[in-house]
Amino acid sequence: MNKSLYDYYVINKEHRALRFKVDKELSSEYSALGLCSSERMTRRFEYLSSLEVPHIHSDEKIVFMRTVANLPDVYTEKEWKEIRKEHYIHELGYVSNLSPEYEKTISVGLLARRESADEYQKRIIDSIIALSDRYLEEAKRMGRGDIVEVLTQVPRYGARNFREALQFFRILHYSLWLEGDYHNTVGRFDQYMYPYFKNDMDAGVYTRESALELVEDFFLSFNKDSDLYVGVQQGDNGQSMVLGGIDKDGNDCFNLLSELCLEASRNLLVIDPKINLRVSKKTPLSIFEKGTELTRAGLGFPQYSNDDVVIEGLQRLGYDYEDAVNYVVAACWEFIIPGVGNDIANIGAVNFPQLVDAAIRENIGKSSFEALLGDVKRRVTAECDRIRESIANVWFVASPFMDLLREAKKYNNFGLHGCGLASAADALASVEKYVYNEKSVSPERLIAALDANFENDPELLHTLRYEAPKMGVDSERADAMCGILLDSFADALEGKRNCLGGVWRAGTGTAMFYLWHARDIGATADGRRKGEAFGTNFSPSLFAKVKGPVSDIESFTANDLTRTVNGGPLTLELASSVFASEDSISKVAMLIKYFIERGGHQLQLNAINLDTLKAAQADPDSYRQLIVRIWGWSAYFVELDREYQDHVMARQEYSL
Amino acid sequence: MKGLVFDIKEFAVHDGSGIRTTVFMKGCPLRCVWCHNPEGLSPKKELYVSQANCTHCGLCKRQCNHEECKDFGRCLHICPQDLVRVAGEEWEAEALSRKLLKYEGLFRSTGGGVTLSGGEPLLQADFCAELLTILRGRIHTAIETSGYASAEDFKRVAELCDFVFMDIKLAEAAAHKKYTGVDNGIILENAAWLKKSGKPHTFRTPLIPNITDTYENLCAISQIVGEDPWEKLPYNELAPVKYKNVGREYAGAEFIKEKKNS
Repeated sequence: MNKSLYDYYVINKEHRALRFKVDKELSSEYSALGLCSSERMTRRFEYLSSLEVPHIHSDEKIVFMRTVANLPDVYTEKEWKEIRKEHYIHELGYVSNLSPEYEKTISVGLLARRESADEYQKRIIDSIIALSDRYLEEAKRMGRGDIVEVLTQVPRYGARNFREALQFFRILHYSLWLEGDYHNTVGRFDQYMYPYFKNDMDAGVYTRESALELVEDFFLSFNKDSDLYVGVQQGDNGQSMVLGGIDKDGNDCFNLLSELCLEASRNLLVIDPKINLRVSKKTPLSIFEKGTELTRAGLGFPQYSNDDVVIEGLQRLGYDYEDAVNYVVAACWEFIIPGVGNDIANIGAVNFPQLVDAAIRENIGKSSFEALLGDVKRRVTAECDRIRESIANVWFVASPFMDLLREAKKYNNFGLHGCGLASAADALASVEKYVYNEKSVSPERLIAALDANFENDPELLHTLRYEAPKMGVDSERADAMCGILLDSFADALEGKRNCLGGVWRAGTGTAMFYLWHARDIGATADGRRKGEAFGTNFSPSLFAKVKGPVSDIESFTANDLTRTVNGGPLTLELASSVFASEDSISKVAMLIKYFIERGGHQLQLNAINLDTLKAAQADPDSYRQLIVRIWGWSAYFVELDREYQDHVMARQEYSL
Repeated sequence: MKGLVFDIKEFAVHDGSGIRTTVFMKGCPLRCVWCHNPEGLSPKKELYVSQANCTHCGLCKRQCNHEECKDFGRCLHICPQDLVRVAGEEWEAEALSRKLLKYEGLFRSTGGGVTLSGGEPLLQADFCAELLTILRGRIHTAIETSGYASAEDFKRVAELCDFVFMDIKLAEAAAHKKYTGVDNGIILENAAWLKKSGKPHTFRTPLIPNITDTYENLCAISQIVGEDPWEKLPYNELAPVKYKNVGREYAGAEFIKEKKNS
């Protein structure tokens, strides 16, 4: 690792001192001139790129960093109000969560792309080249012949080697952010970069070590400006990189560059780029082991996705095979297609526990359990209809440069998150067991307890919370209920068209809705008290007494997930002590392979680190399932005395 | 027949090959002062109350009518945090094997299976034999034992397993008696049989500061072990944590002095 570069950008963040704020208000000027969206975006790009001050660290190979700290809006508040009256505006109104097609531009150069570009795109290309030339001058001034050579070729002309290709990527990615597009993903980096990498390796330009060092230098570039990138939290910036996976002939494409990317992430321990690994039944254990080595580092990378499930699922939604096989992930886990996708994969969310709660209250004591399930299905359909109808006339601010990096807007599909699926399934399984089958809990008692937030009935709380069937805890009934919910969700959206002519996709993600939706309802029949959050994404409820990762995996792969492939992973948290030896790394890899073979669609695996333990100490209720495994036995972390918690934490610190 | 189990842990990564589940059998004839599983000592069911987060709300002390609560003087079905539990669950060997074999495919494909641990599993040798007879040949099986069992029980169960982990904690008889409460004669005899048996095995020694980790003890054990596989396991500093949950005193503190003081 290049220590001085790492310290400069990541530890001390000295480069941020070079940033300056743009005070000029652009929107009122643009508004007064009555400019169209494309003209505004192009003008802003020309203006901001002209303000950029080239800065090159003496040790870096990949250049371009932001000195302009902010992007003044291109529309006035008044204009936005008008626009919102006419249109559905997704999030900030600027395009996001897309995966551009970098490959073609990197190979032919911007001048070649300019020939077929529209007038706006031409002006943006000219601005990029002008800025690049100023970097070139700076490199000359510093006596950096290597950078001069690279910038003489790219971005004007196509890259001739790996380093030029990396630098070209950096310029394109940087320009997308400067245009104002956000959550700009990286795509299948190890695939489109591989030809350049392989040529150089074959020619002996790099050793494995020097190639790794260059990849690390490149990875650091994702962290230079990431504080400027918009998100719900710092780090929520969509710089997702996808590695591995199959090609259209079904061959596994994991290569040496994929391997170096995993290593670079492990060496740098930085949160960008976010590493995703595509795998399938055919993936050998050795690749899972390489992934697990990265998991051990405690970053929560890689996130795995299952080609066998995702590609089939995308085809079912209407994606052509050659596009589906090329899938990547958006900011978090939504599956999108590079270059041709125009999907809005996170346009809304369904609150499953709320729908189930309403159905229970409506039917319990009056109708059969089958009728209750029928009502759940009707409510899921009605809620999906309501969300669909609320989204019409979607409009985005223009994005000329992003459009240049997309061949077509072939897919215009909308995705919905499915929030609180485990809590909802658990509630149904409880009602089936105690109210309908065993008849040990009367409908009146259940409703009274829910209304009183269980304060009147601690015994029922205990039963529903700790003794009832739960997803993740070896309960076929809870899993079956989840299957019914997933089917209802997919059925409710199947065949429906959105306002852009695309289809609707059902998913198992929650984003931040596991908190927001939970606030909207009271206590629920799974023993969840008012105010308590749902599990994140497709994971057990927070108080399910999960016995371990095997039954957890078993439960969350029990249902066919090909119809709910908008995205949303099962999250497994393993103590970092589990990763202590080569032998146990291999066992974790076997566990992941098992998940994939069982038909799981997506998996996030965490080695619990010190920060998590601290959070668990401060808020034990949210970390009930955190298991600290100690030689020979295990403990729920929050059940340990403070002094022992402190001890575990001190030890974790050593092991990290 | 029935066996008494105090825990079943999935994905036990330190208890043998592949992905495996470890069954902790309740009851142990030894009283090692450093024991970290105090709920495994008694061969009977017992109340287990996690103390760390107890708010002493008193709900569990209210009168209840549950049959299963009667022996314990507490209600097991009311704690809002589920801290009041019973250590010890009775399993029929047949039913337990069904539960374990749910993951037969996973165990087989990873060379894993089931490990019987404890407590001392050989205290329930008949149950172990019955369970292992069902599992035998379908998945990999192992046992973790102190070796403190009759030669007949030891051989019978060992022969039904694919692998034996056996502890040799202290070589010298008096020290063994002092720190574990039992003589080691029978353990050493079983170890001698194991060495010659051809049964794949590993000897293990927990490194307890100033008790088992002394130069003399480790040299003596190394003589016993010879060329056979031998693992030395680090002392578990969290050992005392569960004692008050079962109302016991941790006996190790007075014996285990800081290494630096010695």
